[in-house]
Formats: sequence, structure tokens, C-alpha cells
Amino acid sequence: MTILQSLKNLVRSKSIHVAYVDVGSCNGCDIEVLACLAPRYDIEQYGIFVHNNPREADVLLVIGAFTPGWEEKLQGLWQKIPDPKVAVAIGNCPISGCLFARPHTLVDPPVSKHIPIAAQVPGCPPRPTEILSAILSVAPTVFRDYEVRKK
Amino acid sequence: MPLSIVYYAKEFFRWEWARKFLAARTAPLVIPPHFRNYPEMTGKTCTHQLFCMMVCPAPGAIDVVSTAEGWMPRIHVGHCIRCGLCVEACPNGVLTSGRILESMFNDNTCLSFSFRIDVDTKKCMGCGNCAVACPVNKLIDAQMSHGGKASTDDLLLKVSEGKCLVLHVEKCTGCKTCENHCPNEAIQVARLLEAVHAPEDVV
Repeated sequence: MTILQSLKNLVRSKSIHVAYVDVGSCNGCDIEVLACLAPRYDIEQYGIFVHNNPREADVLLVIGAFTPGWEEKLQGLWQKIPDPKVAVAIGNCPISGCLFARPHTLVDPPVSKHIPIAAQVPGCPPRPTEILSAILSVAPTVFRDYEVRKK
Repeated sequence: MPLSIVYYAKEFFRWEWARKFLAARTAPLVIPPHFRNYPEMTGKTCTHQLFCMMVCPAPGAIDVVSTAEGWMPRIHVGHCIRCGLCVEACPNGVLTSGRILESMFNDNTCLSFSFRIDVDTKKCMGCGNCAVACPVNKLIDAQMSHGGKASTDDLLLKVSEGKCLVLHVEKCTGCKTCENHCPNEAIQVARLLEAVHAPEDVV
């Protein structure tokens, strides 16, 4: 491994930029993601920064049971994120639709039908600890030695 | 003057202070033991009363499956919302989660189910599908004829004089089989759930 690659690994492990997108949830999971920013959980001490800008994001947190308004937009948003990138489904909604997956509703779960999901954090809502450990455990597997694996 | 500068420099540029300030990192907070997590088995025997499935608010979160050790509730992660109602509703204490069983024991509370069967006599045409399909009736009178007529009055449902009669509503287990077999949607089962305090005083 070159020195440049190990330097990239070191920098990437301490600078994970997160964008979150709510594709039609009840806002419960949004609040849990925001709780990660608060001093009690303090996501920034692990080098995770929430920017909410897909152009500079590494990790996309997808929240909510996919509503029809997001049909084209989520795909476009996913393409805007530069490689290496990873999407994490937060909560039950992107996995199964949770309470909204009933007959005669418009939601279209799971989100993995629309964009590739690398990790899922079940729970309604999940604890901030669970969100934090999911991001921390999925990030190295995707970002470590990315250039080496791409060749 | 220079001495005090040295003093302040020594005070503020301590190595461990700088290390803690620049690279502060605590382990992710552990989930406390009292957290109401996904229900787990206690090892007690499930008697297939299905109260957990009846009370569950999330679609597809729990089902009771037949395994080699008998009936066993199964929680589906990704559907379960960890409300803990199945733990409270189970009459046998098969499931456990956080402090729910402990606090139910301390507070002497439980969830009790009762069922009410309403028959719309205007819609009912006395076909007897409900009485024949009813699994409780099947245990009491296995020989019941196709019209739902029977000589015994111990039954839950029975057809008499062209109308469906509810005889012993306390025997109902809330399975809603009658509701699913009625061609006219004339029979409806209501599941009534109440939280009961101090059950031995009430009974």
C-alpha cells in the first residue's frame, strides 16, 4: 500500500460527511439523527459531520417510507453524491414501511428498490447509539482502500 | 513577568490537555439494560392464545410459528416498533423486554382481552357458516351439521329459527374466523383490550 493510500485512509476515517434525506417519514427518526449531533451523543467527535449537501457527502441516511413524490428525486440525489458513497436506511420505514405499509396507502417501501442500501438500522425509531455505530461500522468497509479495490 | 508567561504556558500547553482537547473520543453510549429492546424468549411455554399478534400495532411484526419445541412467537426486526405490548399481553410471560415484566409484577397490572360478537340481524340470513367455521364450536360439538343447528346450548354460536345466536360469548378466543366466513358481513367480532390494575381484587 502506498503512503498516499494510507494517508487517504487516515483522513477518510476521520472525516465522514453525512447527508440525510427524509423520503416521507413521521419525523421521529429525523429527531433521533439530530440527537446524534447533540452533546450527549456528539457525532462530531468521531469525525462525522452532517452537512446535508449531497455534493460533499459520503454517507446518505435515508429516512422514511418512500412516498411517490420522491420517485425521480431520490435517484437524482444519489447520483449527485461523489464516489465512494454509501446509503444507510434509518428506521423501520425504509426497510419495511413499518406502520405505513398497509393496504391502500401510497408509500412504496423498501427504499432498496430505488437506490442501493448498504446498511439498515431497524427500530421505530432507532436509538442514536445504534445510528452512530451503524455509520462507524459501515464507513471503513466502504472507504478504506477504495482506490485499490476500484482497480 | 517572563516567569509568569512560562507559568501560563506550562499550564495551558500540557500534552494530555491538548490531546484530550484535540482528539476527544468517548465510546458510543451503551444501551442501558432497562431499554425496551426487541422482545426475547423467557423459555416459558407458549399456549398459542395469539394475544401478542392481536395487540401488535405494527403490520407483520410478530407471528406465532410451530417449531419442534411447540408454538413459538417470532419477532420480525425491521417491522417491530419495540412498543412492548406483546410482552404485556402474553398471559404466560413467554416474551420479555427491558423492565416490562418486572414493573408489571411490581405494579400488579396486566392487559386483559375480552371479545364481543355483534350479529346484524338484518343482514344475517342464517346460513350457519360462522357456527360451523368456529374452532371453539368444533371442540364442543364436532358433529355440528352444515346449517349450524345443534341440540346443545353449550356452543359459542348457533343458528336458531333462521338467525345466528351468540350463546356463550365468554368462550370466544377472538380469532375472527366467523367474520371471515360470513358471506354478508353480518357478524363482527370486537376485541376489547383493557389495562387492569390489581387483577385479584377485580376477579
